[in-house]
Amino acid sequence: MGEVILTMEGIDKSFPGVKALNQVFFEVRKGEVHALMGENGAGKSTLMKVLTGIYTRDAGTITYEGKEVTYHNPREAQAAGIVIVHQELNMMGHLTVAQNIFIGREFRKGPFIDDAKMNEEARKLFQRLNIDIDPKMTMSDLTVGMQQMCEIAKAISHEAKVIIFDEPSAALTEAEIDRLFDIIRELKKQDMGIVYISHRMDEIKRITDRVSVMRDGAYVGTLITEECTKDDIINMMVGRVIYEEPKTESQVAKDAPVVLKVEHLNAGRMVKDVSFELRKGEILGFAGLMGAGRTETLRAVFGADKKDSGDIFLNGKKIEIKTPEDAVKAGIGYLSEDRKRYGVVLQKTITENSTLACLDQYVKGIFIDGRKERKVTKKYVDLLKTKTPGIDQLVMNLSGGNQQKVVVAKWLVNNCDILIFDEPTRGIDVGAKQEIYELMNQLVKEGKSIIMISSEMAEILRMSDRIVVMCEGKKTGEMDIAGVTQEKIMHLATMRE
Amino acid sequence: MEKIKNNKIVKAIGFNRIVLIGVIILLYVLFSVLTPVLHAGTTFVSYERIMSALNYAYFIGFLALGVTFVIATGGIDFSIGPVMFASALISGYCLTKYNVPLPVCLLISIGVGLLFGVLNGYFVAYRFLPSFITSMASMQIAKGIGSVFTKTQSVTWPASAAENSWYRYLIKWNNIPTGLILLCIVAAICAVVLHKTRAGRYMLCIGSNKEAVRLSGVNTKRWEMLAYMICGLLAGIAAIFYVGAYTTVQPGLGDTFNNEAIAACVMGGTSMAGGLASILGSIIGAVIVALMQEGILAMGFTISYQYVLTGLIVLAAVTADIMSRKRKN
Repeated sequence: MGEVILTMEGIDKSFPGVKALNQVFFEVRKGEVHALMGENGAGKSTLMKVLTGIYTRDAGTITYEGKEVTYHNPREAQAAGIVIVHQELNMMGHLTVAQNIFIGREFRKGPFIDDAKMNEEARKLFQRLNIDIDPKMTMSDLTVGMQQMCEIAKAISHEAKVIIFDEPSAALTEAEIDRLFDIIRELKKQDMGIVYISHRMDEIKRITDRVSVMRDGAYVGTLITEECTKDDIINMMVGRVIYEEPKTESQVAKDAPVVLKVEHLNAGRMVKDVSFELRKGEILGFAGLMGAGRTETLRAVFGADKKDSGDIFLNGKKIEIKTPEDAVKAGIGYLSEDRKRYGVVLQKTITENSTLACLDQYVKGIFIDGRKERKVTKKYVDLLKTKTPGIDQLVMNLSGGNQQKVVVAKWLVNNCDILIFDEPTRGIDVGAKQEIYELMNQLVKEGKSIIMISSEMAEILRMSDRIVVMCEGKKTGEMDIAGVTQEKIMHLATMRE
Repeated sequence: MEKIKNNKIVKAIGFNRIVLIGVIILLYVLFSVLTPVLHAGTTFVSYERIMSALNYAYFIGFLALGVTFVIATGGIDFSIGPVMFASALISGYCLTKYNVPLPVCLLISIGVGLLFGVLNGYFVAYRFLPSFITSMASMQIAKGIGSVFTKTQSVTWPASAAENSWYRYLIKWNNIPTGLILLCIVAAICAVVLHKTRAGRYMLCIGSNKEAVRLSGVNTKRWEMLAYMICGLLAGIAAIFYVGAYTTVQPGLGDTFNNEAIAACVMGGTSMAGGLASILGSIIGAVIVALMQEGILAMGFTISYQYVLTGLIVLAAVTADIMSRKRKN
């Protein structure tokens, strides 16, 4: 490890209602691979966005190559030699490899693009990285792994001195990951500083020199990778004080009937052979890290996405759910993590949204029964304490928490027995959060059953009677709330095969 | 200003609609003053002029009503003009060449329109084609079929007082504009369907956020297709009112009417982004379009000026819609 090339000190960043970063410290040395770890929402991505000028910091200093710097956009950072290799590749599939690498700064011969020169320069870059890719190939013909290598080549073509890898291995096969690591070692040799963001413990142990851990927007500490164990890292990641009392034992009787049973569900790349049961009156928590396939699993159950195989049983009887229509008829409601896109119709009123799932129950002859519709909407606005001047208010004028209540109302109006809450409190302020929790507890008391996907550890521990943990599309564990610890969940959530 | 906007009656009709009614009055006064000046020896102020403008307003009005449903779902239908012509040509040819009874011919006209609605709706809703492309294609088909069916001849429906001419009473009977009454009745039905039934509610919600509606367990495809079917059906009805006013239909034409009908919609406050629609607005818009074309002709300009104006109106109305949406966000 060489001298320090980049230091971030005392970085603060707030968003309305959230302190995303709080006095964060982070440094990178030349020729080291420095892992940046933390749970979902710990602030890793925000920190990198502050570094590359996507966000403006509220406080703190960034020192790069001995000088204090501030970048206003990723372009400036790139010009200075700080480059991000994104998780999602930003490539144009129909262009060649070389054209992609030099997009926006093409070599020219007079008024024409000099493709020969670009191919030559790209070849030199690949040689430097010891990669065998033909620059003339069309991007979409390459595997994801090879595309990523092109992205890396593009990064070093900017004379990069610090390269940030944001979950680079998520879409790669084992062999491709080995290749990636060879390249990273090569970059290391060339004295670049490398930031490696990943959830995969085994990779952290294999490739990194140091590990910095963040938690809830704050810097926790830095360890030398060789000297620490996986448990040390997990402890730093989850060692937060949980203010809300976690549940200590399941509120559901052992012999409560199974209302929903899913067997060997497969759907696309993200859901592999998932089976689970939901009991009456239970809150079943789905824990896992980002991209674990939890949303995909429940969307497939709900019929929002296509299933490849698997059976669903409702109250012991096998049912076919091909579309959301089938699911809603069966009494299942789905509250999406992305309310604005999948939950509410923003430009319509609370009333119109509330009866959307069961409008056929609110018609008299061929007309919508306006009075009945308003009555039921009013009832649920009062019941859920939705804050609004009136039920004719457009949903777009409500706050996030109140929009969420409108979605809840929609499913309650339809009298759903099974509710899937996907990240029910994301983007909701603390007060409204509390109300959503109380509401969920109230619902299960009334005999409804809830599946709750949550990336917030505290939420999982506080609400669930039982917990299913997923990792990379597979179910890696299931346990009763009694005896669960954050560490156990985190182990299962990072358990790759 | 805010006070006026919040007035109960103003709110019920819509501020935008009230402004448009003002525009109608303004245009009428403008044309009345300018016509004798620009075109010596003529006048704009006459019962005949009004009836003539109304003749134009009828079929544009029916087309606009139909396309309002499609635009409400967030789609567009560029085929309505040629579909209307195909309806008029095919049914007229049946009437004049094959001596099919008149009532059956009127039903054929509506049926042809409906068929194109089914075609558009199927490809947009069930095959996920962009409505823009789908309706462009069916526009070509409609033009072609009309020509093929009539062997590229124009079709002339029976003139007044001839045998089988009672269909003309649909637009005018003893100098009473029956067409206006019928247009208002159909418009009222459309308004009820759009705002008081499940179909209309779903269409508007689909226009705002289709995926959220689908995830609420609604069969969005069915309702989206229905919007195109209503649109086609009304294009078939528009055809009857077109021939009622102008008797002769030429094959291979009709596409200029799409734009005028769509212009009527967007002027009336129906948002091209979907989710917001006004039936009353579309009717008022159709009247403005008709008044403008009457005025332009009365002042001695050619119809080409009308095309330029329609284009400008669409640009202005859509720009206004997008700007007001931006402000709200």
